[in-house]
Amino acid sequence: MFPVTGFLGTGATFAADLNLAVQVAMGCALIAGAVLARQKRFTAHGVCQSTVLVLNLLMIGLVMWPSFKLQVSPALPRRLHKLYYGVAAIHGFAGVAAELLGLYILVVAGTNVFPPRLRFENWKSWMRVELALWMVVFLSGIGTYYTWYVAAFR
Amino acid sequence: MKTKARWTVVALPMIAVLLLAGSARLRAADQPAGAEVKIDNFSFGPQTITVPVGATVTWTNRDDIPHTVVSTDGVFKSKVRDTDEKFSYTFTKAGTYSYFCSIHPKMTGKVVVQ
Repeated sequence: MFPVTGFLGTGATFAADLNLAVQVAMGCALIAGAVLARQKRFTAHGVCQSTVLVLNLLMIGLVMWPSFKLQVSPALPRRLHKLYYGVAAIHGFAGVAAELLGLYILVVAGTNVFPPRLRFENWKSWMRVELALWMVVFLSGIGTYYTWYVAAFR
Repeated sequence: MKTKARWTVVALPMIAVLLLAGSARLRAADQPAGAEVKIDNFSFGPQTITVPVGATVTWTNRDDIPHTVVSTDGVFKSKVRDTDEKFSYTFTKAGTYSYFCSIHPKMTGKVVVQ
């Protein structure tokens, strides 16, 4: 589907480089979306964060999940102590949590699918938790990229 | 007459042993030798290997990271090889075959078949 060699000059594949570039852009978009919320531009905030969430789902399906399934999951849990697998596992599990929480927030905010007892009122707290979790995912993603494609070839 | 018979008893088995050893050596020379490439520390070693036509090259993953062996021209392609797993390919045509690891494309190697 993608060319093999990456474009960032590291040891990464094209898919990994593309994913990194998209993730950095999405991280910036999430922060911009948080700023929009602070400015009370809630519609723009909703569009921005929802777009990031859906785009990330696409990147998970196209790049991250196949890579995790191929390289990391067969080695779990016996090689979890190795940095190569440990950092990727943290990224994978935190990423799934962030994506699911984001989808939950999106559904609660944009629809009436959930009954009142499954909905939250404290918007700010939930969204701050989501943003913090996303940053953990982002940083562990950078760590995974560095461990897999930069440190390995030094 | 007795001496001649004794010589025959000694010489015949010796000739038979020599003939068998010679034919075994000929058979070994007929078969192209196999070659080994070790995958370790994110590299193929040796990076370039020269083998005769008909030789089988075996790659063994000695890394604790999964790798693949994929020909640039699509001639051969391994599945993901975990630690100590092997992949073999027999080269039936002369030429230079470049290959890489599809997970870590900076890992490259070459098989020269003569």
